[in-house]
Amino acid sequence: MMEKALQPRSTGRLMILGFLSPTLILLLFMVAYPIFALVYFSFHNFSALRPGEGMTWAGLSNYTYLLSDTALWDRFVFTGKFVFLCVSTQMIVGIFVGYQLQKAFRGRDVLFTALMLPMMLSPVVAGFLWRYMLNSEWGVVNYILTVFGGEKVDWLGRADAALWAAALVDTWMWTPFIILLATAAFRGIPDTIYEAAEVDGASPAYVFFRLTLPMSAPVLFIALILRLIDSFKQYDLFVALTGGGPGSATETVSFAVAKTAFRFFYTGEASALAVILLCIIMGLAMILVRHLSTMGDRN
Amino acid sequence: MSAPRAKKAALTRWVMFGLLVVYTIYNLGPILWLMISSLKSRADLFAMPPTLVFTPNFSGYQSVFGVGAARDSASSIGVFDSLVTSVFVSTIGTAVAVGLGTLAGYVCSRFEFRGKGDFMFFVLSTRMLPPVAVLVFYHLMFAKLGLADTRLGLILIAVFINVGLATWIMKGFFDGVPKEVEQIAMINGYSRLYAFRRLVLPMVRGGIAATAGFCFIFSWNEFAFASILTTTEAKTLPVKITSAAGATGIEWTQICAAGVVLIVPVLVFFYLIRKHLLMGMTFGVLGRS
Amino acid sequence: MKYRSTLLASAAVGGILCGAVTANAETTLTFVWHAGTCADAIVEIARDYPDKTVTIVPALVPYGPEWHNKIASEFAIQGDAFDFAMWDSQSTAEFAGGGHAVKINDIFDNSSYLKADIFPASSLSQYGEYPDGSGEFYGLPVNQDAYGLMYRKDLFENPDEQAAFKAKYGRDLRVPETYQEAREVAEFFTRPDQGLYGWGQMGGRDYDFATTASNSFLWSFGGELYNPETMEVLGYLNSPASIAGVQAYVDMFQFGPPGSGNWGYDEVNASFQQGQLAMAMQWFYFNGSNADPAVNKFAESTKFGILPGAIGSDGKFRRQFSVGGQGMGINKYSKKLPELVKFMEWYFQPEQQKRYAAICQTGLKAVLESPDWQDLNSYNAQFSEALAYLNDYWHLPEYPVLLDILQEEVSNAIAGSKTVEAALTDAATRQERTLERAGHKIDRKGNAPEVPDTMISPVGVDAVVPVNN
Repeated sequence: MMEKALQPRSTGRLMILGFLSPTLILLLFMVAYPIFALVYFSFHNFSALRPGEGMTWAGLSNYTYLLSDTALWDRFVFTGKFVFLCVSTQMIVGIFVGYQLQKAFRGRDVLFTALMLPMMLSPVVAGFLWRYMLNSEWGVVNYILTVFGGEKVDWLGRADAALWAAALVDTWMWTPFIILLATAAFRGIPDTIYEAAEVDGASPAYVFFRLTLPMSAPVLFIALILRLIDSFKQYDLFVALTGGGPGSATETVSFAVAKTAFRFFYTGEASALAVILLCIIMGLAMILVRHLSTMGDRN
Repeated sequence: MSAPRAKKAALTRWVMFGLLVVYTIYNLGPILWLMISSLKSRADLFAMPPTLVFTPNFSGYQSVFGVGAARDSASSIGVFDSLVTSVFVSTIGTAVAVGLGTLAGYVCSRFEFRGKGDFMFFVLSTRMLPPVAVLVFYHLMFAKLGLADTRLGLILIAVFINVGLATWIMKGFFDGVPKEVEQIAMINGYSRLYAFRRLVLPMVRGGIAATAGFCFIFSWNEFAFASILTTTEAKTLPVKITSAAGATGIEWTQICAAGVVLIVPVLVFFYLIRKHLLMGMTFGVLGRS
Repeated sequence: MKYRSTLLASAAVGGILCGAVTANAETTLTFVWHAGTCADAIVEIARDYPDKTVTIVPALVPYGPEWHNKIASEFAIQGDAFDFAMWDSQSTAEFAGGGHAVKINDIFDNSSYLKADIFPASSLSQYGEYPDGSGEFYGLPVNQDAYGLMYRKDLFENPDEQAAFKAKYGRDLRVPETYQEAREVAEFFTRPDQGLYGWGQMGGRDYDFATTASNSFLWSFGGELYNPETMEVLGYLNSPASIAGVQAYVDMFQFGPPGSGNWGYDEVNASFQQGQLAMAMQWFYFNGSNADPAVNKFAESTKFGILPGAIGSDGKFRRQFSVGGQGMGINKYSKKLPELVKFMEWYFQPEQQKRYAAICQTGLKAVLESPDWQDLNSYNAQFSEALAYLNDYWHLPEYPVLLDILQEEVSNAIAGSKTVEAALTDAATRQERTLERAGHKIDRKGNAPEVPDTMISPVGVDAVVPVNN
């Protein structure tokens, strides 16, 4: 599908301006002050709750303090593990289920809508629900395990188990996001392509990996980027399930930002940490977006 | 297809079906458990082994709506107001976010212009900010602008958190519509705007529906901003009814009931757009039925 | 013409009069609290406030971090979205230290009824005094709470159990008065195959769950969290007495159900209500529901007592445990202080507080000393006795940071990733760094005794004082 991009003519230019400016103006209005404040305070020692203590210029000391803290690096590692686990699982499962749902069968529509339910559930309630289900004594998950002959697992009290527990819950909640986008992407591939492949005697695996996936790659990639960004921000789940414990083993970087910003009200330090997190997310997103545009060109 | 090939294909189909069943159980099981738990009394909730047969206890739902035994509970004052607020804010917020995202996604899909990449990345980056980091700043900004505790303020937040997502998804869907569609129309004398409205937009109905679905979910369940920025006038439903702690500890019955109640409007919304959700994209001029 | 101008004039006068009347119109007093029966109680009682132009409006948040965040954020922007708020007693120093709470002494001076002495001195001090010992108050006790002991009296009164216990331990079975005794009783009642465990306590990482429990042990063994005079933490938090106390606390988890190292108040309740526990550490706040047969299957056999003390390494007996509950503070940026004071003068009358005490726990001396209050339920008597043994965290603005550090390290000790000594030493080091960063000067005398309590407000006595038997 090699198409030349249409050169903007005068109506085109008007359209670009008209279609973009509302979004641009609104977003600039909404983020201008908070971003400015975030960066500004990251260079100061300041607590919004204790203004009486004054605000002193800190230069880069917030950043150096944070980046030299080994505990913070542990949190980055944990966050990285969590994000990788979640996003990869959700993509694989989501693409798989989306592929199964693309062909109409009886009850497909109902099943599809039903599978969206975990995503619809309020994350606050989801946190409580899974905390209840993962309780080592009276949780239904451990009960089912024992029925199948396994042993009760202390899901939320041990750091290694808690990582899997949190990934389990996050995957449960957000795989439908991938399913929705994947199904939409797959459904857009015309039947003619599949018919031609069948005539050529192509195997289902070939069809999937050489035809379906490449054609739907752009949308799937967008889904990946969006899910990656969102999972970096995850911390409500950890508050509900483990409170960040045991110790601080299940604290993500977002969790640390929330703690520093709201419990401790170290506004300067929290802002610096948020800026660091933002830079990392932006960096990753930039790599992926660049890959996406080369993918689009190839197509 | 040869016989062993057919058998292998059949086996694969069964395995795929089995995996789908496993996933469905994993996906829907907890939802079912939520609904069952919302009707259990506290004693039943902690019974081991877990009970499936029990006398239903409606105290959770009563607490959510402030009726029956929970008639005088302070936390349920204004619960219907908050329901109205949530519906109002989420619907308008979704409409605006989807509208803005569709327009922006369209031009970014069709045109090349300087700064397009920067614009798209900027729009995406608005989603990267963890709300906790900037909550106090938004609080101050809203208070100074008189937006705190107002529905307008909440709508602005709803649009803000969603328009990045909407733009990117819609651009993806527009990329799937061949540019020939507008070209043919313009060659035949129609304006680009006409082609956009009458030809291209209907083709991306699926994308609009999916985007609307996401935007509605994120606006509806938005908690961090809503709990800090509103106090009494413009409370949203999730903030109102997920008050979990009570005199017996954590009121599990109530929280499960709140969860069920919160899902219903979202389910209704998805039901209303179901026809468009599964429409998919069009890679060719001939799409799929 | 004349008629018209008279009409206009009278309309104008009427309008002005109406305006004057409506100038006295609706005032809303908004308060922030977490949703629950206590908030319901205030709203219910406030409905009977005689001045009908004033409405009390609740702005309730879920229990948890949102509660503290909502109040803190409003203070940070110096807003007046709420007029008064209930916050955890430990937060008074944080909010008062930031200058966001109204100094209640001014109200005491100007009001004819609201005076410091209508509240018990210790309560007022716990819930509102900042800094400690200054006589300046920024909060009033609205929901007193204390840590208590919950136990199954049917197990203790059972003759077979008593005989078996005597045979094994050589002394009579009784509700433990010391943690040393509690360990033996807990061990005796821990029978996993029968689904019974001896002791249930909290260990959760979140908020203050683990440390309210571990502090109760720590203080009873003669330990201290820090030295308020010198601001030293090293030597006090990790003194031998403190370590012994927290060690005793960690050891008690072996007499609890598996996975209980992560428990909050809800799990303790749930476990006890299912009959899994012989004894449990729980807030008096929950006794109302734990005494209710509709909630607690074993309500009939449940009794409430006072937490044990401990015999320290110096041979002295100490009994101290954590205070809980909330205080009421007034938003300094609220513009409705006069109306609020009038409401408070009515609300803190014995009549209203008696109604409140039926559901929650009042802080008004008049009600607490009345005989009807003692007989109101099966635990008020113990509660008033427990008030004598209360101790609290640091009353410093840095409290949230210090708390988080201690919670993290105690949680590490429970999980076994650090020894108790290492955990407390690390916590002390980190806390000193926090204090210094906040501008406190630490006067390193380095002369902390093995049992710091002997140096800091000592409570040790020579013999065990039985209160439960």
